[in-house]
Amino acid sequence: MITGQGITKTFRQRGGVLGGRDVRALRGVDFSIARGGAVSFIGESGCGKTTLGRILAGLESHDSGEITIDGVSMTSLRPRARRPYFRRIQLIHQDPYSALNPTRTVHQTLAAPLALRARQTGRAKGWIDERAEELLGLVGLDPGHVLPRYPHQLSGGMRQRVVIARALTVDPEALVADEAVSMIDVSLRLGILGLLRDLRERLGVSVLFITHDVATARYIGDDGELYVIYRGQVVERGPVETIISAPVHPYTQALLSAIPVLHGLEVPGGQPVTPAGALEEDEHDAGCLFARRCPFATGRCSAEVPVLGRTGDIPQEHACFHPERRSVVAMPAGRA
Amino acid sequence: MPVTPSATPGRKSAPGVRIGGLTVVYRTPAGELPAVSGVDLELPPGTITGVVGESGSGKSTLALSLLNAVQPPGRISAGSVEIDGLGDVVALRGEELRRARGRHVGYVFQAAQNSLNPLKTVGKQLLDLGRSHGVEDLRALVREARDLLGRMGLDGARVLDSYQHELSGGMRQRAGIMFALVLNAHLVVLDEPTTALDMITQATILRIIREVHEERGLTTLVITHDLGVVAEVADRLAVMYGGRLVEQGPTRQVLSDPRHPYTRGLIQAIPRLVGDIGEARALPGRPPTLATVPARGCVFRERCPLRMDVCESEHPPAVAHGTRLVSCHAVEAGAQEHGGEAVAAGAREEQA
Repeated sequence: MITGQGITKTFRQRGGVLGGRDVRALRGVDFSIARGGAVSFIGESGCGKTTLGRILAGLESHDSGEITIDGVSMTSLRPRARRPYFRRIQLIHQDPYSALNPTRTVHQTLAAPLALRARQTGRAKGWIDERAEELLGLVGLDPGHVLPRYPHQLSGGMRQRVVIARALTVDPEALVADEAVSMIDVSLRLGILGLLRDLRERLGVSVLFITHDVATARYIGDDGELYVIYRGQVVERGPVETIISAPVHPYTQALLSAIPVLHGLEVPGGQPVTPAGALEEDEHDAGCLFARRCPFATGRCSAEVPVLGRTGDIPQEHACFHPERRSVVAMPAGRA
Repeated sequence: MPVTPSATPGRKSAPGVRIGGLTVVYRTPAGELPAVSGVDLELPPGTITGVVGESGSGKSTLALSLLNAVQPPGRISAGSVEIDGLGDVVALRGEELRRARGRHVGYVFQAAQNSLNPLKTVGKQLLDLGRSHGVEDLRALVREARDLLGRMGLDGARVLDSYQHELSGGMRQRAGIMFALVLNAHLVVLDEPTTALDMITQATILRIIREVHEERGLTTLVITHDLGVVAEVADRLAVMYGGRLVEQGPTRQVLSDPRHPYTRGLIQAIPRLVGDIGEARALPGRPPTLATVPARGCVFRERCPLRMDVCESEHPPAVAHGTRLVSCHAVEAGAQEHGGEAVAAGAREEQA
């Protein structure tokens, strides 16, 4: 079990069109992910979802808040003592091309961390090759074919599988998959998503899935939770299917409205929500952060801060004063 | 058609483009291998055509061929690219070719990546572009650029004063579109216009592409790996695999009733927002690379559920089914078996 409470992070940014001020990447985010669970973070680029993933993988520090891994508070530990915990959370990058060393064969890539593992656990040398083959089998690759090859000899999908196999060498508790399929060919994408789902079921690995493509979040497991993040804050949270079929926060609705409609196969939702302007930091942070772009904002929205929670008979949590279901998602077209 | 001197601000009309038998080969240690093989594709004037393909399908090479800009070790080894008002681009050389790029054919490179010079402001690059194309009235060029950027929802003056790193991905992409249009080109090629942009920015860029296409009277070619992008903007869709066009036709028809087994598999492989998760599935196997594309027979046969003996030996020719062109032996065999039905379907398509 991994939890976070009130995680904040601010980056100092230098001048330019995008502003020369502090960027509050995370403004107090709470989350929890059970063993074998799936949590997806969605939002625009710059919303803080990648920062959250990097903090969880131990690659970035946070300013305040508390992260616990299996009940142990990370803030209470010295940096050195945290390492074994963060090692159990492995990051899968967007780009499998740059994530692998081009001068190493797949065998070398897997053998190095496995050798370390063998030393730590007092296993014999023979275990390394055995385990490498086992892991490749687990990620759906043929060890005989893949082991002697260099990354450039593999397709993008195969490379991403190698990256996942390498992450599994340390027996992780969780994988943080940051846009892990966005650079993979469409015909192979579902294969990687299915693999992540499979690893959850077979190994009990939890998956933290960071994406801007909401549809992919469904495929790592329909029991997963979806967190919609806007400017460093969670604005809607709940079961993935609930939020996709009945979103109540206008920002979630804007995200879902923006997804291309496969005209001919689908008909667009009847009430698309288009946000005004672009995601930009601004000084007017009073009230709801989305109010400036929200087509439904009222006076209250720019004066008061909405807090994530449940209201009325809405099953999911949301941070909106005027939650309302709107039909924004495309539906399958009836076949003539 | 006479070439309209682009110094006069008059309205050029959208050119038609006819690509015929285009073959582009790359020199490799294993000999010259085709990245694009015998592609026939027509871009009717004023339409948006989407070419969809996975990595290694040859779609970017096809796009570069419209500018005759395939770089060594690649070369166009056969075929022609006829552009109205310009002639066969494949035959153009040197200065002629350089002038055609930008004036006649605008090219928008992959989104948000490295298409701008990081050391110069956008405005400085605009002036460079103007000078290299002999534009006399640079003030008018800057005005036009500002207007275009304003049209796309940006503060034009501010963008022209900015360096690449000061612009977000969506802003850079709009700057790229401005560069493609500012010399009054009426044929525009966009290579992966929204890759690496998030959904809301993507929706904005796609809307801008549609609107600018209409307003300026363009012929547009969009190259992408994403069927959703094509579904949103393109009138016509061409599906590329292993250097060949396997299916083409009106976008909605192809999406609602794909014929080629690859098109079917690709559509089925898209993660969808609604519907049963179990219905979507990845295509088995992997896309071919330059080295693994079969030299004979159908390029898709390795991954094809309908594979027949003839697929090993003979390349399937493109056959018209109503307004659709499909290259597949199995589809032909099926059409012959249920001849009446296919003809009826073709007739329905033509009416639609």
